[in-house]
Amino acid sequence: MARYFRRRKFCKFTAEGTKEIDYKDLETLKAYVSETGKIVPSRITGTKARYQRQLATAIKRARYLSLIPYTDSHQV
Amino acid sequence: MRHYEVVFLVHPDQSEQVPGMIDRYTQLMSDNGGKVHRMEDWGRRQLAYPINKIHKAHYVLMNVECGGETLEELTTLFRFNDAVLRNLVIKCKDAITEESLILQGERESKERKDRAEQRRKMEEEAAAVAAAEGGTDDVDPASLEESAGIEEAATPIEEADTSGEVTDEAPAADEDAETEEG
Repeated sequence: MARYFRRRKFCKFTAEGTKEIDYKDLETLKAYVSETGKIVPSRITGTKARYQRQLATAIKRARYLSLIPYTDSHQV
Repeated sequence: MRHYEVVFLVHPDQSEQVPGMIDRYTQLMSDNGGKVHRMEDWGRRQLAYPINKIHKAHYVLMNVECGGETLEELTTLFRFNDAVLRNLVIKCKDAITEESLILQGERESKERKDRAEQRRKMEEEAAAVAAAEGGTDDVDPASLEESAGIEEAATPIEEADTSGEVTDEAPAADEDAETEEG
């Protein structure tokens, strides 16, 4: 039985008491999208549901404004 | 009267028109009893993906307080202006006046770059001084360190250590993903 020590997941936004996730906060958003540009599920990041919903909206807004990519294989 | 946040992207070739557009829109707002709480010109930015085969666009952000008809007018102006590539309007709860995170981030990265350059210059000067002094000494600690650095490529490792602090979150998340799948 290979049991790894798994670091406890925590919700960064709950810990910081974030009011609303801003779509302009690219540094934060980038931490929650995968390398291919997908939104990372909350079961992996540990984000609370309330903030995961806000995060999804923020990421989608940022994508629309071309601040972050939809995918890593955009036609250049 | 409601609060709205409006962002629009202007074609980079029409960048000169941006100040005029800003004037026109603020005029529109004040004519209809609205208010502009925040007006930011992010300048020409690299797009994350090309839009209409364009790789750069001029971004403008404005936080306004106006009625529905005025907003309708603004969006129609956007729609019939060929220079506007894209626009986003979102409702806000209240007026936002502080500097947006995009501008903050840009300023910080610029400051960091300046500081890094300054540090590099200082290091270069120090190295030059050390080299000048070290010419007479048999064993110079600075030159020893330098030679060790070349052999073991110590400098990239140091850089990795510092960057690890920033991206600490991402690898942990990946580990979790792997274990969960197994």
